[in-house]
Amino acid sequence: MDPIRVPPEMFRFTSGDRAELYVAVLHAFGEANERLETALGLDDVRARLRSIGWLDALDDNDLASALDQLRTWNLVDVTQNHSENYRTASEYERRNLQYSLTRQGEAAFAGVVHAMSLLASTGALQTAVLDAISDRLGDLVQELDTGSDRRVFSTLTELEGHLEALRGNTKQFNGELQRLLRADGADLTTFHEVKASTVAYLEEFLTNLEPRTHAIATRIGKIEEHGVGLLHQRALLGADLPQLTGTDPGPAWLAHRRARWEGLRAWFRPTDGSAPRVEQLHLVARRAIITLLQVLARITESKRRSSSAVADFRELARWFTVVPAQEDLHRLWTTMFGLSSARHAHLAHPDPELVSPAASWHEIPPVAVSPLLRSAGKAERFTKTGRVRDVAAIKAARAEQALAERAELEAAWDMLDTGGAIRLSAFERLDHALFERLLDLLGNALATGPGAGGTRRSTTSDGRIEILLRPPQDGAIAVLTTPRGEFRGPDYEIEIRAAGQLRRRASGDDT
Amino acid sequence: MSQLANQLVTAEREEVAYGIRWLLSTPLITERSAPDVFDLVRRRREPIRKWFDYYCGWTLTVEPRLGYARLVKVRVAADASRPARRLRSGRAPFDRRRYVLLCVVAAELQSVPVTTIGLLADRITRATNADEVVTTFDASSRSERMAFVDVLRLLESYGAVEVVDGVTETFVESAEAKVLYRVDPTLLLRLLAAPVGPSQLAVPAEDVALRFEELLEAVSRERRYGLSAGRHEDTPGASDVQRNLWLRHSVFRRLVDDPVVYFDDLSADEQAYLNSPTGRRLLRQAAELGGFLLEERAEGVLLIDVDSVATDSRFPDDVANAKVAALLLLDTMSGPATVEQLEFTAAALLDRFPRWAKSYRGDEGTRQLAADALAVLTDFDLVRVTAGVVRPLPAAARYAVSATRTTEGTTP
Repeated sequence: MDPIRVPPEMFRFTSGDRAELYVAVLHAFGEANERLETALGLDDVRARLRSIGWLDALDDNDLASALDQLRTWNLVDVTQNHSENYRTASEYERRNLQYSLTRQGEAAFAGVVHAMSLLASTGALQTAVLDAISDRLGDLVQELDTGSDRRVFSTLTELEGHLEALRGNTKQFNGELQRLLRADGADLTTFHEVKASTVAYLEEFLTNLEPRTHAIATRIGKIEEHGVGLLHQRALLGADLPQLTGTDPGPAWLAHRRARWEGLRAWFRPTDGSAPRVEQLHLVARRAIITLLQVLARITESKRRSSSAVADFRELARWFTVVPAQEDLHRLWTTMFGLSSARHAHLAHPDPELVSPAASWHEIPPVAVSPLLRSAGKAERFTKTGRVRDVAAIKAARAEQALAERAELEAAWDMLDTGGAIRLSAFERLDHALFERLLDLLGNALATGPGAGGTRRSTTSDGRIEILLRPPQDGAIAVLTTPRGEFRGPDYEIEIRAAGQLRRRASGDDT
Repeated sequence: MSQLANQLVTAEREEVAYGIRWLLSTPLITERSAPDVFDLVRRRREPIRKWFDYYCGWTLTVEPRLGYARLVKVRVAADASRPARRLRSGRAPFDRRRYVLLCVVAAELQSVPVTTIGLLADRITRATNADEVVTTFDASSRSERMAFVDVLRLLESYGAVEVVDGVTETFVESAEAKVLYRVDPTLLLRLLAAPVGPSQLAVPAEDVALRFEELLEAVSRERRYGLSAGRHEDTPGASDVQRNLWLRHSVFRRLVDDPVVYFDDLSADEQAYLNSPTGRRLLRQAAELGGFLLEERAEGVLLIDVDSVATDSRFPDDVANAKVAALLLLDTMSGPATVEQLEFTAAALLDRFPRWAKSYRGDEGTRQLAADALAVLTDFDLVRVTAGVVRPLPAAARYAVSATRTTEGTTP
């Protein structure tokens, strides 16, 4: 894209102390142009000024000098009008000069109007625009088959209009969104509402985004089967361009259309394999939702306390300054902040349940303190081993049972071992008990948060079986059949594997 | 199938119990500082939250997106044995200046999302200068800078500020040090656990010292227990439901936080509650769910955490000479003793363990050893010192030298 070069002086009229007058004058010309009056005399300008709301006193000299200034900036042209009948010399002087906007003047005023409208308007992401684009594309397909060139032209124009609206809206909305994300210090109550409604709005927009973009991309494909060149040629015929100047406007017009079509492709179906822009929209919206929710959380949080939090900390600083005793400092800290640790004994009787709750501490034997600690001031690290010994001695039976259960469970896990990434649908048929276990593993994995790339990873509590889940890229549905019915769910890419070598071998035996 | 379910239930129970005990020792967990534990708490947050809410009336907030879990321990601190500590090798407790600076820094950080250590120090100087009560911060003094750095490092450890660039420690040597911080205002707010803000009480500074006990009660007052929690005996406004709730929560708060709960220290209502069938049942339930062993005796109850997860320190232990000395002093005490007697014993200990003399040499050595050992015993609710007399408490008998050393032989 070429850099934008604005002619010098073009927007000079918007600054300086007489800017208001200049803008008003240009506004007057603009209004007149809409009524197809292009040349205005001094009195006409004055009359128009009043009608657009310029009420200040303004003598002829001022107005004339303003117009003169605009002329030197190349915004206004002066012509002499000889067609009328003038009765007096003064009348001639007053009325023979006719002012009209130059091309630059028109552009400059349009620019100002556009700037003002941008300032006043708010952007929006509209599913309606997406729908309109999709509909027009559909129409185009039909018109290409059966319709006239004129219809092709008008539909294409509409399509471009909607695309323009989409671009404009998105640009503005994104700008607003980023401003919203930045402006943290604003008035909290309205802010809260604005953000909450923005989140709701974005969520609504996102829900329908994908099917729509998909439809649009398909239709673009269809039109390209017909040939985009043909489409543009027919539109050119339908446009019936007037040849006002010496050069043929056709090639430029076609180039313009091609650029627009490229734009459409870039949005929905880029040729160079890059991600469609509409997906970025998706990303931006999703990120914005997350950020907004975080900000909201923080606002609610600070609403609850912040007004007083600063004051609380300051007051607390004073309290800490005047509290007399060292002990009280620590107590104040523990009470106010609640960040201190609990404190507990770690030595227990081998079997606490053997001792009656009514017994006194003095009556029962003491806990086992390492004798080494008393004699040498060093403890052997007995806590761990001591505990295992206790469990073995007292809860042997229970442990044995757990072991048996474990073995059964492991056998099941072995059978589920996938030996690599497969799709969930690859299980096809499963024994019901096995299926239940699979379901439990899935549940385990789904309970964890997705990592980078959406992969969920989980291990069983003992860390020996690991399960990896990746969401299906194509959104396929898996159907598993068990003796008791069918299970349907997203066709995850699933990997169940055992951590140890020994288990690898076992699974090899099974298969 | 049922076996699998059992296995999963066992796994969940272990994780929940671990999470509960971890939160008891670290009420504020950030994803950055302890990713594994945070993940566990995040996954098991519902049962853990319920446990704290039901037994202790404490709120657990887990914010997966913001990456922190905070257990709001509301409780009037009865003992001074759990101070904030400097994150240095000695782990010395915070002094007055550090506590004061901590509060001022927290207040000033509230309004700046990003700051450097120099700018922050300026703000602190201005803020303290404007305050009539607080002594003005002087960044040109090394000891002040040291205190300031200790405060910031503590806040860093809580995740309330994050160092983006530089090292906080360098500020001690030079006030020109460049350190860039990003502030997490949410976590900063979460640091305060007391339900009532001190600013709401509007107590004149000169009254604070006089009304200190009353103020501790006031900031811990929770509406849910009726008009004035902790003072139910004389509040007609509180309903029976609120009264029972308060009984349960106040008893369990002691139990999960303190080493020993002696019946003598409880009010009549609380004793009755603990000794009622419901109280006992809940006690056993809570201990089991939390992965504690429960020790019920005639004089009181205590929770044992065999894995030492839910505790900031252990006894008996050999990590410090004072702890070994504490155990040995306890052996010599069959009844009340004076501090002087214990110092005498301590001197004998120093003779017996010559290497200890390194840390406890000099004239004040024995006195210091005895004092440190007594502090350990007091911290674990095993002795109580009043006016120079040390009284062993019933639970001290747990660690007595056993007559028959049955546990001495090791199993192969």
